[in-house]
Amino acid sequence: MSTTEPAVELHGITKRFPGVVANHDIDIEVAAGTVHAIVGENGAGKSTLMKILYGMQRPDEGTIKVDGVEVALHSPSDAIARGIGMVHQHFMLADNLSVLENVVLGAERLHGIGGKARRRIEEISHQYGLGVEPDRLVEQLGVGARQRVEILKVLYRGAKILILDEPTAVLVPQEVEELFGNLRDLKREGLTVIFISHKLDEVLSVADTITVIRRGTTVDTVRPGDVTARQLAELMVGSELPVPELRESTVTDVPVLTMDGVTVRDATGRAVVDDVSLTIHEGEILGIAGVEGNGQAELVEAIMGMLPLAAGVVRLGDTDLTGMATRRRREAGIGFIPEDRHRHGLLLESPLWENRILGHQTRPPNVKGGLIDRQGARNDTERIVRDYDVRTPNIDVTAASLSGGNQQKLIVGREMSGDPKLLIAAHPTRGVDVGAQSAIWDHLRHARAEGLAVLLISADLDELIGMSDTLRVILRGRLVGEADPATITPDQLGSLMTGAGEESAA
Amino acid sequence: MIEQEIRTPAPRTGDRERRRTRMLAVGGGIFIALILLRLITGESDITSSGTMGATLALAVPIGMAALGGMWSERSGVVNIGLEGMMTFGTWGAAFASYFSGNPWLGLLGGIVAGAVGGLLHAVATVTFGVDHIVSGVALNILAPGVTRYLSDLLFTDEKGGGATQSPPLPSFPTWSVPGVGKPLGSLEKHHWILISDLAGLVRGVLTNLSPITLLGILLVPVSYYLLWHTAFGLRLRSCGENPVAAESLGVKVYRMKYSAVVISGALAGIGGVFLAMVASSNYQEGQVNGRGYIGLAAMIFGNWRPGMVAGGAGLFGYTDALQLRGGAGAVHAMLLLIGIGLLALAVWRGYRRRVVAAAVSAVVGAGVLVWFFLTDALPREIVTYSPHITTLLVLAFAAQRLRMPAADGMRYRRGGGH
Repeated sequence: MSTTEPAVELHGITKRFPGVVANHDIDIEVAAGTVHAIVGENGAGKSTLMKILYGMQRPDEGTIKVDGVEVALHSPSDAIARGIGMVHQHFMLADNLSVLENVVLGAERLHGIGGKARRRIEEISHQYGLGVEPDRLVEQLGVGARQRVEILKVLYRGAKILILDEPTAVLVPQEVEELFGNLRDLKREGLTVIFISHKLDEVLSVADTITVIRRGTTVDTVRPGDVTARQLAELMVGSELPVPELRESTVTDVPVLTMDGVTVRDATGRAVVDDVSLTIHEGEILGIAGVEGNGQAELVEAIMGMLPLAAGVVRLGDTDLTGMATRRRREAGIGFIPEDRHRHGLLLESPLWENRILGHQTRPPNVKGGLIDRQGARNDTERIVRDYDVRTPNIDVTAASLSGGNQQKLIVGREMSGDPKLLIAAHPTRGVDVGAQSAIWDHLRHARAEGLAVLLISADLDELIGMSDTLRVILRGRLVGEADPATITPDQLGSLMTGAGEESAA
Repeated sequence: MIEQEIRTPAPRTGDRERRRTRMLAVGGGIFIALILLRLITGESDITSSGTMGATLALAVPIGMAALGGMWSERSGVVNIGLEGMMTFGTWGAAFASYFSGNPWLGLLGGIVAGAVGGLLHAVATVTFGVDHIVSGVALNILAPGVTRYLSDLLFTDEKGGGATQSPPLPSFPTWSVPGVGKPLGSLEKHHWILISDLAGLVRGVLTNLSPITLLGILLVPVSYYLLWHTAFGLRLRSCGENPVAAESLGVKVYRMKYSAVVISGALAGIGGVFLAMVASSNYQEGQVNGRGYIGLAAMIFGNWRPGMVAGGAGLFGYTDALQLRGGAGAVHAMLLLIGIGLLALAVWRGYRRRVVAAAVSAVVGAGVLVWFFLTDALPREIVTYSPHITTLLVLAFAAQRLRMPAADGMRYRRGGGH
């Protein structure tokens, strides 16, 4: 695309970690003076690739060329010496030091740490329109400004090639726009930007070239004008995007969950769940649609026994759950995928096998004779990891070290253990990548065919319509409508959720 | 967020000047308050040259410990082992000066012994990742044992020495600024308001100075310059704020922490030298007597900044000097100052609408004043403990707007960031 030497060329890069191949046969050519995006799902190997390019890790095979010259990068300082700079996703700044101090740290030889350095920073800031003030404390800066400090830090060291690792993850939309403005300025000044992301709309709007990485290798390089976001997503996943849909009906007439006149009041006495009655049968997925904050969370917590009922009855099969403790309810056969897996579902600092025990701490295979059965729990965790395709080096890593999608698959696997009769799935695919999403849908479909009853709550209307046998709409704590998922469109459902057009409900 | 950035003005160099003027104002205000107190209570020791000289002498070891603590904690290593490092310093000074007969080698010996203590702490905390408090406490337990053993081994056969003390040590020369002592002394005797007080202050600070005192005073601006105006200092401080970021920029974090903790030990060692060779004429077991901990308190009071740290050491030195020289009467007079100070604080807090805090200050202040007016002297036990009580009070009141280094006391492993 350009006659000059590419700024960066990667050929046949392969990197193995114990038990995993993070990258293999990566081939990328980044033209000088362009914004080159690298996209891929979480865990596809983007970060490892960037660490290799920044000298933080060494490739097992392959060559790296910078400006046409083959280089060996042993450490970040080698990369910096070659003009490669990295803007980390998590800012590497000391809050209690000034911007000036943060910028010159480690590069004091260039312009000292005093007035000369301050003038140089102001100069760079002006040249690229970064608006960085050298004498402010970093702790006084907002997120966007901190990111500009990070960019300036890299430029101060003379970088001509900037790697930005998921730079928009921490920004609000206006800040993203500002960042893209800055990137265009950088490009105009002749710098090369390598932009890592999985947000396709952003990539399409800012990149000149896009390379897609899937399962550790480069699958295609495209121009943003030639593809749509959906095509790009399919390249990332490697197949058609999963579609939420149910085949034939498996609904029976055996009721599993019966709620009758359930009311929950908040501290002020207002009814947040108001006289809700519903029944879920074996093999049925019942979807609850509603704008967030209309009582869905409270409804779920009422079923789980996390909130006391002001009135009404909850039954599981023939068992009256009302007044039963949460653990007893779980033992009675309820699985629960909570909406916020970090607050409710996992102990982030604990290993996977301990997380497997959570909520099942009184049941085999985790318990033998009243004591925790380590080996049993570990073996069963291995089973979940295998069956639910949780990508992890082993079961002794902490839950925090898994990506969101893999954390969610672990939770789904755990909650499906012990043959539950009812599964409460609150936003089961929120914040997970497409691969994990389709896997979780598969598990739901499979469990439904086995006769599981599911209460599904989701903000993703496609998911809700596609995955439900029955749809109910919740508004201000009341079930206000019912819809047939076979015929309703997301738009119609959306208007039902806001309370408009109640008359059109079936 | 952007709006907020515009609202808070960028702190420029003017900020530093303002801070300096404020410090001068506070210092001057305290001095005038002390003069008034002398006038009201007639306790001349409150501002006498003797008290001022003693303040300096007592503040130096505390100040060295505090400065040492500051160096260490600025690099992110909590140094509660200062007490032990000072103990090493006292012994090292005694050993080197006694066997060489040269006080200057004693200074070197104390510095080296303190630095060895620091090195131990660095090996434990930086290389092996031991909890900083555990390692520091271990050092404090280790130091008296080691020095007792070595004294037993080396001092018992010497004349005047034993297992718990060294023989008399050679002393440093003392210096006075020429032409200051006599005229100021006669001025001071007149007890003229302000003039005599100032004369006392200046005479106390400028006469009969030990070189260690001078060294100690000098090390305050030197520390400031090194830590805030050199690349070395910036790198060192960055390790205490965000070692992961520092490492990502090529700072050798372990090396920085080692340097800081060893320097910290050396400074504590100088404090030990002062105790063994200036404040006393030989090494004695237990000579440090909690000054390492008081130094830590002075460091916290000083918000991990050298000027304020020195001020904190001065405060503790002053209360100690007062109880030693003025005794029960002078410390009793301090109650008046504390009482009025607390009432003023109550008014200020009331003005800021912090009702509970204001009420507490008012009640305690009134209680202190009542105590002052109903008694003529304090019980001797309380007088002896006044420096420690001051430590407690100062920490309780000052510990609210402090900013310690962000990564202080955290275990750091190389490559821990990725």
